[in-house]
Amino acid sequence: MKGRHTFAAGCVLVGLVLAVAVVSLVWLPYDPSDTTGGRLAPPGGEHLLGTDKLGRDLLTRLMVGARIALTVGAGSVLVGGVLGVAAGLLAGFATRWLDDALSAALDILIAFPTLLLAMLVVAVREASLGSAIVAIGLAMSGVVARLTRVLVKRVLAQDYITASRTSGTSWPRLVTEHVLPNIWPTLLVNLALQLGLAVLAEASLSYLGLGPPPPNASWGRLLQEAQATVLTAPLGAVAPGVLLVVLVVGVNLVADGLRDLADPTRRSSR
Amino acid sequence: MGRYLLRRTSFLLASLLLAASLLFVLLRLLPGDPANALVSVGATPEQLAAARRQIGSDLPLPEQFASWLGGLARLDLGTSFVSKLPVGSEIAARLAVTVPLTLLAFTLAVVVALPVGFLAAWRSDRWYGPLLNGVAQLGVAVPVFWIGILLVTVFALRLRVLPAGGFPREDWAEPGRALTSLLLPVVTIALVMSASLIRYVRSATVDVLGSDFLRTARAMGESFGGAMWRHGLRNASVPVISILGIELATTFLGAVVVESVFTLPGLGTLLIKGIAEHDYPVIQGVLVVSTLAVLLIGFAADVVQRLVDPRLRAHVGGGRP
Amino acid sequence: MNSKLAGVVAALALVLAACGSGQEGPAGVGTATPDAAAVIEIGSQYEPQNLDNTAGGGQGVTEAFNGNVYEGLFRLTDAGKVENLLAKGYEVSDDGLTYTFELREGVTFHSGKALTPADVKHSIERVTADDSQSARKSSLEAIESVETPDDGTVVVELAHRSVSLVYNLTYVWIVNADAKDLATAEDGTGPYELGAWKRGSTLSLDRFPGYWGTPPANNGVVFHYFTDATALNNALLTNAVDIVTSQQSPDALAQFTGNPDYRVSEGHSTTKLLLAFNDRKAPFDEPLVRKAVSSAIDDAKLLESIWAGHGSLIGSMVPPTDPWYEDLTKVNPYDVELAKRQLAEAGYAKGFRFTLDTPNYDPHPTAATFIKSELAKVGITVDINVITADEWYSKVYKNHDFAATLQEHVNDRDVVWYGDPDFYWGYDDKQVSEWIKDAERARTPEEQTELLKKANRRIAENAAGDWLYLYPQIVVAASNLSGYPVNGLNSQFYAYGIKKS
Repeated sequence: MKGRHTFAAGCVLVGLVLAVAVVSLVWLPYDPSDTTGGRLAPPGGEHLLGTDKLGRDLLTRLMVGARIALTVGAGSVLVGGVLGVAAGLLAGFATRWLDDALSAALDILIAFPTLLLAMLVVAVREASLGSAIVAIGLAMSGVVARLTRVLVKRVLAQDYITASRTSGTSWPRLVTEHVLPNIWPTLLVNLALQLGLAVLAEASLSYLGLGPPPPNASWGRLLQEAQATVLTAPLGAVAPGVLLVVLVVGVNLVADGLRDLADPTRRSSR
Repeated sequence: MGRYLLRRTSFLLASLLLAASLLFVLLRLLPGDPANALVSVGATPEQLAAARRQIGSDLPLPEQFASWLGGLARLDLGTSFVSKLPVGSEIAARLAVTVPLTLLAFTLAVVVALPVGFLAAWRSDRWYGPLLNGVAQLGVAVPVFWIGILLVTVFALRLRVLPAGGFPREDWAEPGRALTSLLLPVVTIALVMSASLIRYVRSATVDVLGSDFLRTARAMGESFGGAMWRHGLRNASVPVISILGIELATTFLGAVVVESVFTLPGLGTLLIKGIAEHDYPVIQGVLVVSTLAVLLIGFAADVVQRLVDPRLRAHVGGGRP
Repeated sequence: MNSKLAGVVAALALVLAACGSGQEGPAGVGTATPDAAAVIEIGSQYEPQNLDNTAGGGQGVTEAFNGNVYEGLFRLTDAGKVENLLAKGYEVSDDGLTYTFELREGVTFHSGKALTPADVKHSIERVTADDSQSARKSSLEAIESVETPDDGTVVVELAHRSVSLVYNLTYVWIVNADAKDLATAEDGTGPYELGAWKRGSTLSLDRFPGYWGTPPANNGVVFHYFTDATALNNALLTNAVDIVTSQQSPDALAQFTGNPDYRVSEGHSTTKLLLAFNDRKAPFDEPLVRKAVSSAIDDAKLLESIWAGHGSLIGSMVPPTDPWYEDLTKVNPYDVELAKRQLAEAGYAKGFRFTLDTPNYDPHPTAATFIKSELAKVGITVDINVITADEWYSKVYKNHDFAATLQEHVNDRDVVWYGDPDFYWGYDDKQVSEWIKDAERARTPEEQTELLKKANRRIAENAAGDWLYLYPQIVVAASNLSGYPVNGLNSQFYAYGIKKS
């Protein structure tokens, strides 16, 4: 019951942002680099939400920002998910020495926290959409891998798995028939949470000037730019933040809902 | 316990060595030349070559690597390419801002989160239980720098009651002013941090409240408070300590962004400047120190966990569960 | 801090009050009396990288130290005049090759040592040395030797005439020849000595009690460094700083103009924003293409979007503060039809496509976006390639591997780079090179001015670059402050005259 409601509420919020992003692909009120609007035009009139200091339409830029946020979020979950699950499976199946080495490596990767790792990757590559995705994805992969490893170990410890292993079931079959079906609900919940974190990480990177470079209208960059005019044009410093919160709350609700739906015992304890 | 500590310490050192090597390799992949940061428009190739000689970026990589690792072993982080100051002392000066910022924010977050999280779980049937939960849900979704911007706008620019940023040049010689300038940054970090802590505390409490041993203890006639104190706290504290360790590390690193919002001369702003200037010794130094800090916090959390919960001591194996 | 220091401060305040009244007569900013014990809090975005201007100290160390901590033989005043400083006077031989400088007596370094001709020789040679990273090195290339015949004079021998020698010497810090490690410490003769430098935060200058000249009008200054304009303006709004050396964005100006607590002054800047073409490579080796691009971009509108009505258009490399300035904004006027005709004539009727290497800091990305949309109107497609300052040096500056780029050029008198075909933009025009070379070897400033005017007109006619606009130089200060420099030529910021009441 409760899980379903949470899930639905999350879907509505995420759907809202997704819809904006999809619409931005086919229609925008103005060209994102059109500077004809005049400095800091107030909301209303020709520009629904006003313009920024260069005369660019704020609504247009917010819509493009939705696209960037979702692209980076989804892209880094893809990168982090694939890398993390692969590494996690490997570590999960590994025995003593390899297992120790791999989990030590993962611990170190996790000790490099997302933002610093991302900054380093951005510094090594260039500040771009791709760099942001790779950076955030890489940082995420450590956490995903560790979770996967624990989950795999737990499955492998089950009696029936030990039985089928001794009876000679091949590794690939073991993974596809027993391990993955058992771990994916938990993984999915975690990846959803990671999506929210990735969106926040991208915003932080962009705020620090290390995200997709201008004129990309990332929400983090919009906030950074609007900071200068927060007293004269407050909407510019509020709107991107609100959208970020809507998206991340939505994603987190989806994750919570999924968890409750997937794990009835947990649901009852709520 | 002794063997465990030995094992855990050697793991710590190995991690640090690996991290240091990784950093060095990654940084040398940077495009461009650090010498470029030193010269201005109008520089001749000879001037560039001189700059390179001066900072040692013309030496072969293995030589640079060896000298850096050697320095690290002697706790010498080298000299900044750009400012020509020892990196170690520069980092020490920055830690005088970042460490208090982290600890104050973390303490505030814990002080807020423990009771609120407990209340949100214990009183989930009252109106404020779900409300607290909702606020926490919102809190984890807010970008930390945005809270910073909003707090600056309200308290510094509108109300004019607190400084908008910066740190007094007298440092901690004037503790009052230093604390005043850290107030907004501390609140900023604590708000976000407590939101995520509340969620953990709440779910740990939910687990304990629904557990069999608590019900058994109460059935045996113990008061609710007594049962919670004797059994609940110990059981809930194990996951919470591990989370606290992770959160403390996250706070330390989240300070990077917040320092930038409030122009605090901390480790984060040093790192960003180092990256902009391609100042390898500074970038390496900051990252090594932060990695060390994170590893040490993880180490401490593990040890405390084992002290609290004797059952963990029976386990063997290096990695955390 | 301690009572000894307080005593010194009080004594100095008395001395200052005695001579201050006679010196700065007309400053009259109202009835309030200046407070000589006040420390001036200065906000800036240019933190020094280190403390040595011959070792990559950058713009920040010039701002903080020029005239404040270090002095030259001559001073370039905020109004752009050259005055005697550590030199009492000088003589030039008839052939223009021998300069004899007479040193001021009674000058001591902050370390206590008296100034000698040997220090001057050492100081000049630091700048001209092989490993010097001074941006001014090339302007002193005429110097052949520096000699010290007696206790009070320095003789500089030149290989050829150098009409700007005295002007260029205003940038040569006179440092103690015995001083070690000037990158992290200082030993100059200026009215202030370095208090403490907290990297990433503040740099404080304390009054030097042994100063030879008029003591500063304040009791010291503290530079507060900010990485972005917003934080800097917030500091000014909340009274954390008294003055901002140079506004880097117009966004916050509205909060200060019309507010009686602040005064906004607009002086003259020498910083130009350039769309620099690689003049060696097609299509920009063709002057007509460059002219077309220049005419296709509405500079006035760009300036309005970035600076909201501040700043000015220049039309060529020379700013109005250089003696050889003339208004060349009409040479390549904004005219889209003209641009199209020129493109057609050059064989690019259908336009072309090029990559614009854009430094990743403001205002470059903004200007690039603007240029992209302007050039689209004449059929030219611009691909914006955002790079770091460091990559810019490797790719554009060193390897000349670019089609066009954006860059700000901060110095005065830098039109001379168009005489150097090896400079990054590769403008190779024998006539211009000759004029520029002859200008430096001219007998009189008039002759120099005439030649540089010719060169400047010629590069404008050939559109050697597109000089988008001249930055404004905006100083915002609390209204109880007076005596601060408003021009900040070449990023100097003389702090000794600032008074707080």
